[in-house]
Amino acid sequence: MVVYSFYIFDRHAACIYKKTWLPSSFSSSVTPARPSSQPSQPYVNGGLQARAALSADNDAKLVFGTVFSLRTMVRKLGGEDDSFLSYRTSQYKLHYYETPTNIKFVMLTDTKSGSMRIALQQIYVNCYVEYVVKNPLSPVEHPGGLGVNNELFEASLEQFVVC
Amino acid sequence: MLTKCFRSLPFDNLSGLRGLSVLGPVFALLIISKAGSLIFHRTFPTSTPGAAAGPPGQTVGTLGLPGTSTLTTNDYLVLAGTFHGVHAITRSLTPKIPVAPSAGSSGRSWTYPDPTVPASGIESMESSFFRLTVFQTLSGTKFLLFTDPSMPNTDVLMKGVYERYADFVCKNPFWQMEMPIRIDAWERSMNQWLTRR
Repeated sequence: MVVYSFYIFDRHAACIYKKTWLPSSFSSSVTPARPSSQPSQPYVNGGLQARAALSADNDAKLVFGTVFSLRTMVRKLGGEDDSFLSYRTSQYKLHYYETPTNIKFVMLTDTKSGSMRIALQQIYVNCYVEYVVKNPLSPVEHPGGLGVNNELFEASLEQFVVC
Repeated sequence: MLTKCFRSLPFDNLSGLRGLSVLGPVFALLIISKAGSLIFHRTFPTSTPGAAAGPPGQTVGTLGLPGTSTLTTNDYLVLAGTFHGVHAITRSLTPKIPVAPSAGSSGRSWTYPDPTVPASGIESMESSFFRLTVFQTLSGTKFLLFTDPSMPNTDVLMKGVYERYADFVCKNPFWQMEMPIRIDAWERSMNQWLTRR
């Protein structure tokens, strides 16, 4: 199973944590407050160039827009108790988990992976609550990822995903 | 836990057809034209045990679940428009795997996770109460089938719907592309296909 990226959105619809796993030497961590080592490669495919250049920053917004729309759609059709779990395209699968406090966890994996709802919940319980919520120095809100991008959280998340 | 991998088994046609005899309920079918407008929607009355026992005045929504409000035609139009947009966005969200520039035959510095198939939008979506199967034809028309999450082989079901669409809608000389579908023969055939158990 391959995990492509992982996002956390707070209740104000802001992306407070974003991490992408890319194969081999191109692997990079894209968190707002840390120096990013993402190689700035030129995209050479005409129409896709502009889109690709923007994507690093805008992907999180698009992901949020997508899960928000789908969540609204699911609520409309299935009632208030229904919750959006995942969707799959020919290339990837997006998993979604929302905590009672409206923190949204999104993970993009390959299409063959099964339900990751439990895994996302485990990330919330074992990583987020342990290292972000219980951190006395962490602010209540996390503007720009402040408080979420600490080393312990990143290390535990890394360990959880890679193992 | 993450290493656990549930592979969906490919079903051959035969077992697919056999599976149809133990159908869960089909909730609804929507057809969205390539321009994003709703050209057909039909909900199928489902008899959930709770709804049958409940008071007759109780509203059961689109999915036959008690407590949900029935959507109006306007709601369906909004839903279709929203989905059309989301479908396009999900295609552009496809992760791009960087490759060494020399390895790329087309000169691109990235590749899709599965280079053998083109990127597509949502193909299936799951929620706690239903599963949505989406089929996009080559010309861009989208078929949305809402079924029970436990229903197997929705792709076989979808194929049948598409065949009937081709036979009774596309071949109808009085139907114009992008126009709402109001054809009795199509409704009859589609109803029979989706509700027989």
